[in-house]
Amino acid sequence: MIKRKINLKSKRGQEEMVGFALIILVIAVVLLVFLVVTIKNSKEEFLGANEVGSFIQASLSYTTNCAEDSSYYSIQELIMECVNYESNCEDGRKTCDVLNETIESLLEESWKITENSAIIGYDFYITVNEQPVIFFEKGNSTLNYKGSIQNFPHYIDVSLNVYY
Amino acid sequence: MVNKSNRGQMKTKKLKISSLHRPKNNRGQMKIQQTAFMLIAVTVLFVLVGLFFLVIRFGSLKDSATILEEDNARLLVNKLASSPEFSCGNAFGTSKVNCIDADKIMALKGNINVYSNFWRISNIEIRKIYPISQSEIECDFANYPECNIITLKEAENSGYTVSNFVALCRKESNNENIYDKCELAKLIVSYESAK
Repeated sequence: MIKRKINLKSKRGQEEMVGFALIILVIAVVLLVFLVVTIKNSKEEFLGANEVGSFIQASLSYTTNCAEDSSYYSIQELIMECVNYESNCEDGRKTCDVLNETIESLLEESWKITENSAIIGYDFYITVNEQPVIFFEKGNSTLNYKGSIQNFPHYIDVSLNVYY
Repeated sequence: MVNKSNRGQMKTKKLKISSLHRPKNNRGQMKIQQTAFMLIAVTVLFVLVGLFFLVIRFGSLKDSATILEEDNARLLVNKLASSPEFSCGNAFGTSKVNCIDADKIMALKGNINVYSNFWRISNIEIRKIYPISQSEIECDFANYPECNIITLKEAENSGYTVSNFVALCRKESNNENIYDKCELAKLIVSYESAK
């Protein structure tokens, strides 16, 4: 009899304990979700939303040292000359060579990849009919990246992806 | 011989007798006490959790203000290059995106006091990236365009910095020909961090 009484009491106690544990568990889950959301929101952004896009736009306007009739080509004009005509500059250099050199230097100076830098790699493509004509790849590619593409007539595309 | 039903009756009777030893209200009091303690424990737990939430929320209030200012700076740097005070317009052939007229900027630099509270940011700087120059030379009316940094606004304590690439264009002359020269630069905007 006494044993039964003790059993009844301990069962009730156990139920209360389980209830209390459940409440703590629910609160712990809510806290965890709250913390995860807070940490996710505070994730630092290394690249501005428009930084890659602005680089492509600004680069296309860059004035190169390749001239014809005393007027210097911009990168955009040089892409058209190289892809459509494979013409030469006034000084005899090939437009495609000048384009290659200039874009390489622009990329090197703008997206510096060092051990301590937030940016770990990039790839730059000039494609015609989705076939790469000029491309540069440096560093590593990851799933975290920002990219931009600029389309031109005759299926010419200029694209850049920057990895961080 | 005692049958099974009799056994049950006996037990019930015994239980009833044993319950007479303790007064009924004592047991009730115990139950009320238990419930009260439980309620107090749960309330204390919820209060503690609430306090934790509040501490985190109020602790991140300053961060939220800083994030808002960062967002403002990001939006501003995106539209600054397109503003009439900076943009190339149609001065260099067709209208260009992310293009800044360097000659216009130099004129603006001379009258920057008029714009002291216009953009509500602490720093505006344009830094040439390519072609590369060996030293950093601040532009003024005497050395322009043989320089690579144009500082429009400068504050001692600047907080977060955001930047965008721009084409820095100007008119250049070469053997009696005037042509458009665009270089690659970065438009850098800083603001004071939230106090």
